[in-house]
Amino acid sequence: MARINLSDLTKVYGTGGDSVVAVEEVSLSVTDGEFLVLVGPSGCGKSTTLRCIAGLEDVTEGRIQFGERDVTEYQASERDVAMVFQNYALYPHMTVRENIGFGLKLSTSLSSAEIHERVDDVAGTLGISELLSDKPKELSGGQQQRVALGRAIVREPEVFLMDEPLSNLDAKLRSDMRTELQELQEHLGVTTVYVTHDQTEAMAMGDRIAVMDGGILQQVGPPEEVYLDPANEFVADFIGSPSINLFTADVEGATITGPGGFAYELDDSTPLRDRKRVRVGIRPEDIRLVADGTNHADVAVVEPMGNENFCYMRLDDHELTARIAPEQRPEAGDRVAFSFEEGSLYLFDVDDGEALKTKTSEPTESAVEGVR
Amino acid sequence: MRKQRQRDAVWKFLTYSFVIVMTLGMMVPLYWMMVAATLPQEEFLQFPPRLYPGTAFFDNLAVLHEETDFLISIWNSVFIAVVYTVLSVLLCSMAGFAFAKYEFRFKEPIFYTILATLILPIQLLVIPLFLMMSQIGWTDTFRAIIIPWLANPIGIFLMRQNMKSIPDALLESARMDGATEFQIFYRIALPAMRSSVAALAIILFLFQWDLFLYPLVILEDSANYTIPVALSGLEESRRVNFDQIMVASSLAIIPMAILFLILQKQFVSGILAGSLKE
Repeated sequence: MARINLSDLTKVYGTGGDSVVAVEEVSLSVTDGEFLVLVGPSGCGKSTTLRCIAGLEDVTEGRIQFGERDVTEYQASERDVAMVFQNYALYPHMTVRENIGFGLKLSTSLSSAEIHERVDDVAGTLGISELLSDKPKELSGGQQQRVALGRAIVREPEVFLMDEPLSNLDAKLRSDMRTELQELQEHLGVTTVYVTHDQTEAMAMGDRIAVMDGGILQQVGPPEEVYLDPANEFVADFIGSPSINLFTADVEGATITGPGGFAYELDDSTPLRDRKRVRVGIRPEDIRLVADGTNHADVAVVEPMGNENFCYMRLDDHELTARIAPEQRPEAGDRVAFSFEEGSLYLFDVDDGEALKTKTSEPTESAVEGVR
Repeated sequence: MRKQRQRDAVWKFLTYSFVIVMTLGMMVPLYWMMVAATLPQEEFLQFPPRLYPGTAFFDNLAVLHEETDFLISIWNSVFIAVVYTVLSVLLCSMAGFAFAKYEFRFKEPIFYTILATLILPIQLLVIPLFLMMSQIGWTDTFRAIIIPWLANPIGIFLMRQNMKSIPDALLESARMDGATEFQIFYRIALPAMRSSVAALAIILFLFQWDLFLYPLVILEDSANYTIPVALSGLEESRRVNFDQIMVASSLAIIPMAILFLILQKQFVSGILAGSLKE
């Protein structure tokens, strides 16, 4: 098991005028046995970062260390890492047993009896013992996924790398496998870097999550911290479902005024100091519909989810989403009053998106639900 | 609705008619060859021709065997074609794999240069190749027939196109499992491409099996003749022995037919199925 250290990792594709910076000066530590999730929109450099750690891509600049070992120049096969690919990449002409045992056969001096035994053990752990003589094409998506996992586990690597391994499964199976993967990782205690574009998956699985955008690491931290205390507007917008409500507001003293007659006076106006405009963020679960209030919005759609309702409203041409109690059922077209706590308000710089104020109040129960 | 159905029926009739005519066009000469192989020379030439098999096959075969080394020629052809096919499949697959999956300097120019050699007809190469072979003392040897054609541009092109369909993740997965580049080629790419390899094997085998002018120039001793060369000998010596030519031709298609029967099931089996979740 190992700690992973990335220092100023940079990956540039191409040369001269055609070059594209895929990853820019990413520095990151993954502690021994930790489950770190790299998350971000497509093209943000998360997969490239993972492939650099795997040794499948050359690093343009920076170093990669596993424990005390500098592996930057090592071949993939010398790094003692195992990777689960998005599309599983099972060898089509081999049986499940051969697929799982292939790595052991090539990279260890184990006898075939020992390999046989280890494959049996892993297959037992993953519940695929009865599939060992099948070919990949005879398996369902979930079973193929398990075989791919088995291939990674059997080698008992120092580091697990997973590149969107659940994205090809249907929703039900995905959430089952999510739990199973976490349990497995906890049981094995192997340092794991997991890539996904799905923020829900990231929040649910990671000990810590690392949010990337445009090749740059935006923030690393435990899920709750990233959710409640985002470093910038991008992170706030990317993490959380439904997304945070964001709009630009003008500042006059301690009062901010936004679209659709939105106005709010802050008790503590320190973050607004010397600013003419700010970006305002309010999480959907922090908006309450009230009988009497100063701010109003027009209800567009209400989506009942059973345990809660999503209420989509309009502030002029800005959409505003609120998570409200199931018994609250405003009609489309209603004009409703809403309010929120100052403690739950986010403020960001208009130009660089940096956070000026994040959630300071104790997270409410619904906020914790939003994280999970 | 009814009109549509009628039109469909007419279209279907025309399609089937066309396919049947084409099939007959290809089958009739083959059938005639086999019938003729069983007829004595005088019956072969009579008009109207006899369209059903006779009884003289073994007589014709005995004469053929007596007058020529035809069985040896069949063996020569089989030997040359098999060795050539194995080596060339390996070489073309490796080249195709490299062009499809590796990045190296001048990759594209080299590939297109190889493709460009396709426009050179074999007839153009016969004399230069003969001169080269005689300079290194390889005339009248099998290696002179086999080696110059090993890097087959069609083969390389075909394998490159097919190898491109192998997902990179499959190769990377093997790389992480500790496979060397050759192991990746030999244990992952080649088996995954089994159907293309089978198709290539048939193409290459057929190419070598049908090669006529070049072996005719290179081979001197009749004990080294391949089938096409030996067949042409039957025409030249004394008179045209149609009965023997037909017997020899009938025998000559047997190895080709066997190879096809062995490999044909590979064409249809989608070997890549199940490797990746689409």
